[in-house]
Amino acid sequence: MSNLSKLFGGGTVIDPRKEGLPLFGMWGGSSDQNTQMQFRVFDSNFRVTGSPWGSTCDTTTNYRFGILADASHAYAMKDHGTDFHSNLTTEGYSSWTNYIKSIYQVDQYPHCFHYTASRDGFVTWQSYHQFTSSFEYQVGWTKLNQVLPEGIRPRRTFTNRRFTMREFMGNSDCNCDFYDYSSHLLNTDQAYATGTGYNEKQKMLVMVHSGDESANTSKTIHIFRSSVCLNEGTKRIKDFFDNLESTEYFTDTWTNQCVKDWTVVVGNNGWVGFGNKQSNSKRYGVFDCNVKGTGVAITGASRQWTTWHDFAGSTTTSYGANSGHQYYTKFQTTWDGTWGMIYSPYYYYGVGINAFCMSIENPRKFININQTKSGRANPYIAWGRTGFHGGWSDNCDSEVWQTYAFAFDPKDSDHTIQTRVYKGSTSGDGAMPDNNSLVGGDFDNRTGVCSLDAMRTGLHGGTHTTNYPMLMGINWWGSYGSADQSYGGK
Amino acid sequence: MAIYYFTNAGEPCTPFEVTGEDLMKKGMAIKATVPDGIESWRLSYDTAAKAVVVYAEGKDEAGAVAQQATDAAAEATAGKEKSDAATIASEAE
Repeated sequence: MSNLSKLFGGGTVIDPRKEGLPLFGMWGGSSDQNTQMQFRVFDSNFRVTGSPWGSTCDTTTNYRFGILADASHAYAMKDHGTDFHSNLTTEGYSSWTNYIKSIYQVDQYPHCFHYTASRDGFVTWQSYHQFTSSFEYQVGWTKLNQVLPEGIRPRRTFTNRRFTMREFMGNSDCNCDFYDYSSHLLNTDQAYATGTGYNEKQKMLVMVHSGDESANTSKTIHIFRSSVCLNEGTKRIKDFFDNLESTEYFTDTWTNQCVKDWTVVVGNNGWVGFGNKQSNSKRYGVFDCNVKGTGVAITGASRQWTTWHDFAGSTTTSYGANSGHQYYTKFQTTWDGTWGMIYSPYYYYGVGINAFCMSIENPRKFININQTKSGRANPYIAWGRTGFHGGWSDNCDSEVWQTYAFAFDPKDSDHTIQTRVYKGSTSGDGAMPDNNSLVGGDFDNRTGVCSLDAMRTGLHGGTHTTNYPMLMGINWWGSYGSADQSYGGK
Repeated sequence: MAIYYFTNAGEPCTPFEVTGEDLMKKGMAIKATVPDGIESWRLSYDTAAKAVVVYAEGKDEAGAVAQQATDAAAEATAGKEKSDAATIASEAE
């Protein structure tokens, strides 16, 4: 990271943060965790990478704790029990195992909610003993939603709470930077930062401040542009604010069930998308945050594009931050950084998906993404250059593992035309049909709903009979442009 | 009774008319009448029988969730028994 300042804008020099196309881990095994367990890592082309692992164990050296993680838990394995395929209904902290497959586990950051998994095939769960005191569980919602260049995930973790930004190392609980930016604010009526987005290309930081950390509807939105990149390796948070080129704000009243759900997508064109979970549904609105001049356009109405948009797909009982701050609404981007996704579960504690996918170039271009499973969940992760996949953990006995994969056109950012989504199928003939039809669909801006279809992968679940594979995020996808083109993306 | 739109795979898609009718024009949705007061996760459309199916019909939401948990546990138990039997059989070979 210390060399980043020399590399930004360095012509053909590749940013050292840049990774190859996304990898994913797949955990498979028998349901009792003691006999056969496998963890394999695949690239976006579904080719296996890393070093293969496999083991046959008994109850005292169970695979998950005795071989790969904390051996002290190998015998009793009290924390997660044995059930890896719950339907995610009434689960709470006492039954972690039931939502380890939920969509809460993975967001745009390289670390995952409850585990760490490397590209070499090593997976370990965080200690359960103090997990409810951990950073991600309690204040993960304060992380910045970052819009970054192609192939780059956030390698620095910045948070924002009240009038203070801090930096952490990954999801550890130790501060490594601190800055009170209140002296730069033009309005301090609302004192609680409850959603922050950063666009690295624009060096633009946008914050939502609310009247409390609960459900207060009063908002002040602060917009900062700097000549210094917040992520630049040698810079501190203070450097960003010391070099501000413009500072603006606007005020508004926004309905929200819980302010911790606010998600902020700062577009490359200066338009900013704000999304959150609202009861069982979601809302998304877009505001013009381009420079207007001091004292100009200080109301939401003067900057908003059309109106707030409610999720247009199917909804049912589902939980967000109002049911526990760890259930906050998540944000991810595609590998190439051209499309973003604000999402939360369709069903209770983490099954299915309700999402807005928006063009990062122009957040006014967005559609609704719908998947209505009520059991057998898995997280969603970036996949390929311009897509996502995940969501499926059904029994792989006599069946290959499937995934809900979908992809966008990276050059499509015109909000006046439909959005094309590419999808797959559960048969090769369906994915490559004997006709000239699009496999996927074209969806109207704002109101269009794309319901995801499962596609076969050809991957098996990891054991010879009943098993429910778990999809896992990988903390490093490999250096971009490495010799193995599986990782390099070119 | 209410109108609901399902995907061609029979999964819940949207309750909204503008979105649903647009998908209908594109051949991407099925329009059906569904009973009031049933959460969408319990609804599906049987494309062969051309009929709406309500999971745990006659039960309230809590009852349906409980039924789902029971069904899932039974499936898991059956899967475990099958897995154990397959392991024993393979070890006997």
